[in-house]
Amino acid sequence: MNEKEGYLDVLVIGAGIAGIEASSLLSNSGRKVHLIEKTSYTGGNVIKFEEVFSNMECSTCMVAPRQQELLQDKNINLLTLAEVEDVKGSFGNFTVKIRKKARYVDLQNCIGCNACFEPCPVSLKNEFEEGLSERKAIYVPCAGALPNVPMIDTENCIRFKGKDCKACQEACAFEAIDFNQKDEQLELKIGAIIAATGSGTFDPKQTPEYGYGKIDDVYTALEFERLYASNGPTEGNINLKNGKAPKSVAIIHCIGRDQKGYCSAVCCMYSLKFNHYLKSKIPDIKITEFYTDLCIPGKSHQKFYEKMKETGTDLIRIQEAKVEKQGKGITVKYDTGKKKDSLPVDMVILATSIEPRDDTSELAKVLGISLDEYGFFKEEHLEASSVTTSKPGVFIAGCVQGPKNIQNSVSQANAAVGKILSLSK
Amino acid sequence: MEKKIGVYVCECGPNIAEKVDIDKVINAVSSIDGVAVVEKFKLLCSGDGKKFLEDEIKKHNLTHLVVAACSPKQHEQTFMEVCENAGINPYLFQLANIREQCAWITEDKDEATEKAIRLTKAAIGRVRYHSSLEKKELECTPNVLVIGGGVAGIETSLQLASPDRKIYLVEKSSSLGGLVTNFEKTFPNMSLTSDVMKQKIQSVNENENIKVFTDAEVEEVLGFFGNFEVKVKKRDEDKSSAEFNVGAVVLATGSTLFDPKKTSQYGYGELDNVVTALEFENMNSSGKITLKNGKKPNSVAIIHCVGRDETGYCSEVCCMYSLKFVRYLKDKISNVKVSNFYSDLCIPGKTYQKFYDQTKGKHVDFIRSADLKVTKKGDKLNIEYKDENGSKKNLGADMAILAPAMEPTSDASGLAEVASISIGDGGFFSEEHEKLGQISTTTEGIYIAGCAQGPKNISETLVQADAVTGKILSSLIPGKKIEPEVKISQISESFCIGCKKCINVCSYGAITFDEAKKISVVNEAICRGCGNCVAACPSGAATLKHFTFNQIYQELMEAVQ
Amino acid sequence: MTREFEPRIVGFLCNWCSYAGADLAGTSKLKVPSSLTPIRVMCSSRVDSVLVTTAFLRGADGVLVAGCHPGDCHYDKGNYYARRRFAVLKKVVEGLGLESDRIRLSWVSASEGQRFAEVVNEFNEKIKKMGPNPTRVKTSL
Repeated sequence: MNEKEGYLDVLVIGAGIAGIEASSLLSNSGRKVHLIEKTSYTGGNVIKFEEVFSNMECSTCMVAPRQQELLQDKNINLLTLAEVEDVKGSFGNFTVKIRKKARYVDLQNCIGCNACFEPCPVSLKNEFEEGLSERKAIYVPCAGALPNVPMIDTENCIRFKGKDCKACQEACAFEAIDFNQKDEQLELKIGAIIAATGSGTFDPKQTPEYGYGKIDDVYTALEFERLYASNGPTEGNINLKNGKAPKSVAIIHCIGRDQKGYCSAVCCMYSLKFNHYLKSKIPDIKITEFYTDLCIPGKSHQKFYEKMKETGTDLIRIQEAKVEKQGKGITVKYDTGKKKDSLPVDMVILATSIEPRDDTSELAKVLGISLDEYGFFKEEHLEASSVTTSKPGVFIAGCVQGPKNIQNSVSQANAAVGKILSLSK
Repeated sequence: MEKKIGVYVCECGPNIAEKVDIDKVINAVSSIDGVAVVEKFKLLCSGDGKKFLEDEIKKHNLTHLVVAACSPKQHEQTFMEVCENAGINPYLFQLANIREQCAWITEDKDEATEKAIRLTKAAIGRVRYHSSLEKKELECTPNVLVIGGGVAGIETSLQLASPDRKIYLVEKSSSLGGLVTNFEKTFPNMSLTSDVMKQKIQSVNENENIKVFTDAEVEEVLGFFGNFEVKVKKRDEDKSSAEFNVGAVVLATGSTLFDPKKTSQYGYGELDNVVTALEFENMNSSGKITLKNGKKPNSVAIIHCVGRDETGYCSEVCCMYSLKFVRYLKDKISNVKVSNFYSDLCIPGKTYQKFYDQTKGKHVDFIRSADLKVTKKGDKLNIEYKDENGSKKNLGADMAILAPAMEPTSDASGLAEVASISIGDGGFFSEEHEKLGQISTTTEGIYIAGCAQGPKNISETLVQADAVTGKILSSLIPGKKIEPEVKISQISESFCIGCKKCINVCSYGAITFDEAKKISVVNEAICRGCGNCVAACPSGAATLKHFTFNQIYQELMEAVQ
Repeated sequence: MTREFEPRIVGFLCNWCSYAGADLAGTSKLKVPSSLTPIRVMCSSRVDSVLVTTAFLRGADGVLVAGCHPGDCHYDKGNYYARRRFAVLKKVVEGLGLESDRIRLSWVSASEGQRFAEVVNEFNEKIKKMGPNPTRVKTSL
């Protein structure tokens, strides 16, 4: 592709860590980036974690400077509440149609004081907090979300359902709330596309043997992340449903692995991270990790495991496990292959598999790329650089290509940029 | 020149106006020496607000600007741009945070007002001592040095090379290709490697923008990002050397395998037919998998995790290539019995479990074991081990293939010194940041890719090679100049006593010692402005621009009133 | 008539973590004593004995140095040096004839608004109990 013939702007889909890093790197090189994000905030899944393995660094501290730079970078056109509807053309010459939903709050006027939340009469479960706390119909998903501008959830806002409510608008001193905003359709001329829309997690309701959704105090990994988070629904206090702190926890690995057919690469490591989380809040807590194979590749990860072993946690290799209610508590019934036994615990955390998001197949159709047999975006060659697809000009990065940890997602994002910049030299 | 400080207090709607008595703040600061004008405004960060400030600066011929509003993390950039647009150096500006850290942390209006006055006075006092700071521009060369001609080095070179960017590829051995040239096939697609590698090596040799040095080593790397001076020594008859300048350096020197002779339990080097993975790869590539006596093996034991205890980490690729070996064996020797002795099966990622599932089959055993020892029993080898239940067991095998841990190359630490980067976990090169900077180092312009950074598979290696490409292509642009950090350290020649404490504490190697003058000198291209050297300096010779003692002192004075 | 002693505390907050954490305390509308005057530095490693001595000689009742958690320093190892230096700073404060507890080092991350508020509240109470700084020397520096 000749630079003189094609468009230089790049479309990055998804403002998670991979999308943010790709956009930042492209901007450094002087390229204009259109960063499309489906939700109202940037940061994706990574900002849901309080700390990341294996250096146990504060996730927000790590990502917030990047998110902030994003908002101030003149080369990056961040479009939140936006989705790609149509892609036509070829490498160097794409025409992309974007549908941008109305936020109903002006990004320039709003200064992020949050005064509009309190008077809103609607309360519902906060998806960002995995349903563990509530939000209003006008909301930001969590404290510190960037951009720090709320959106109106029109599906639940009573005004948009016909009632004459202006509570939020009346509370705003900056005239930032505009009910007349309309969805927009944009057309962009793009040279290359990077799809970095991330992944979802396996819903353990599909595996009822773990008691999720039926037994109290059985949590998914993401729910537990939010419980531990200092900006989360309990401000980082780990309590059972009865308000007391748990004395014993079972962390069960490989939830959904049999159903999905692959190892999600990160769960052993984050389960060990959870060990640190729990010990830091409740030093005397007894933790048992139920696992099949310990997957901790890499020069720094075994060290992390050794440290965790020193805290007195039990690791039990199992073939099968079941979670059942026992009186007021929980019991984990397990089979090591050699013996069958049970362990009473106060809380269970399920390390759920990574799986493609529901909207991945739709996006694949729009982009004209294929999915692999697991529903992730298909790379061109698994043994070559995994960021190219069968469609020239469309690159992929991060968990949308398959389960991986943060550093590998970031490297893929940088690699996608490397491909774009080197192909247009 | 007479200082004319303009002070503007932002109401931020009700956020500050309702919590702080702004008029009181204005009254408190109006008569301060140097203050030319004090005004309030509804929302200074808005379009109108910025225009207002610009007009005010021009109207009053202001030399300095103070804004009392939100956090500098929100709008310092915004108001610095306003200054620039209005003709004031953007560093002659100070933002007093009277919102997040004043109005919003108390309900008591008097308390908030008193603090707002304190903070605004501090900002006014400080800004008086600000100096204009100018952005610097440095020329740079876009050429790149790639050390290591394996898959990572080859990929990086091919991606980067262009008519306006020369690549110098330095390879220690006499040929390019690295470890991968030994493999017949690579997992998981089991595609043939040698054709691909031959092609790539040919592309490199034919590329007129890539200069290849084989039988050569990098002796010296001096300088800094954009301007490295490199010396390469060749192992030819003349022992000649080459010198050239590059803007960036990529270390892609790969890895080596743990030497199983270091532990006696596997009989390596003592018993016949105990081979390492690499030896087996070569055997397989040559087309003949045979025992020492020339016969084909009927039973093979593949032993995982050799050296894992000694190195202290999992090398990520061994379980997968052991599965690959099962396939090699099954393809070439009918009815061969293969047993894999492993501790934990490491097969992360979307395709690897399928590869494992498909590899399992007739006459392939996966035995979870511990305390493994390889001994001789008659003609055959005997694998002694403890099974999952802890019971002692034995298994005979004709051949044992050891999967040794991946280790850094023996010259890694030497190279790290040459390139001024650190060694990290496992003895591999240390990355700048475990999560967000896997391929950069704390030395700007020096990158790492592939197994030199840590054990990984080929796909991840290539991703890293392309990631480095992305970093270099976006920062080292032909014709474009580099803009280093402005708020940096400087060391006074007269006060420096040559104790070198500053050099010891600098994480970036930004300070060098001038032997002639016996003083420390800050490299303005590298300094990142943390101020550690300033605190370490016993003679007060080091100062941090924009964070000098005098400037901070002004804030201190107001804090203790 | 006795007025309740309102301490004057100087807070050296590092730009990347603790200053952001302090901002978050404000954004979350937490109560933080106004006795603390925040002074932004790029890294906690900038804080040296000259600044600390000056602060106390000029009448500061307490000095808080806040940086990123170990391992998180934006400048790689700055906060490790701050930690080591802090041991010396404590001695410096003692040398001035003051209680070494009048200086405190805390790690506050960008997401720890709550923690920042707790640290400052606790430190403020402690300083109140210690009483005002008797060393209020008008020294020319």
